[in-house]
Amino acid sequence: MEIKKSIKKRRVGVILTLLSLCSMVIIFEYCKIEQRDSKIIAIEIIPLIIFLVSFIVTFIKTGLWGFIHKPLKKLDEREIALTSKSLRYAYSIFTVVTLFLLLSFAITQTQIDVVLVASLILFAHILPASYIAWTEKEI
Amino acid sequence: MESRKIYNRIAVLRKEKSLTRNELADKIGVNFQTIGYLEREEYNPSLDLAFRISEVFELPIGLIFSIEPLIPLSQLLTKK
Repeated sequence: MEIKKSIKKRRVGVILTLLSLCSMVIIFEYCKIEQRDSKIIAIEIIPLIIFLVSFIVTFIKTGLWGFIHKPLKKLDEREIALTSKSLRYAYSIFTVVTLFLLLSFAITQTQIDVVLVASLILFAHILPASYIAWTEKEI
Repeated sequence: MESRKIYNRIAVLRKEKSLTRNELADKIGVNFQTIGYLEREEYNPSLDLAFRISEVFELPIGLIFSIEPLIPLSQLLTKK
């Protein structure tokens, strides 16, 4: 992995990435429910920029994104153990979050849209790398 | 089950053989960062990896790894 970052900086990066992703969904859903005009949706650009910057700095430049998507054959035994652990935690978190969202949407009878689905796909891919960024001393 | 901490002499033996982390990593088929984890005793190697390490250093596994804190080799040699 290319760039070494302190664990504190990585944790800030993870929080910023996940918060900005969450903000994008909340703003979009708010505008949809309240039927606000497109000017308010333009605010989406702010969390989108924060998301892109923090995602590139925390996941792409550190090589975490590449690491988590590497084929098993290219990983050694420690890396396999680490990715398995991260996937185990990511699966639990993703399942709880997704089921909670599905339940909320079912109760409120709100239609699930492409922004939410795209955000969930991104969330699922970011989570294992987030676990590693959050816990590992050296990456 | 929580695994026990395994102590090792990898850092000392690597320096003695004048190997860099990258060179040792290539010889035993792991990423160079894994050597750092092994040397800091933050990762317990599998039996296969332990055997590969012992083959590189040409020493028995018992001399490289231990479940008790290891005493320096110099002290071990002078011990009566």
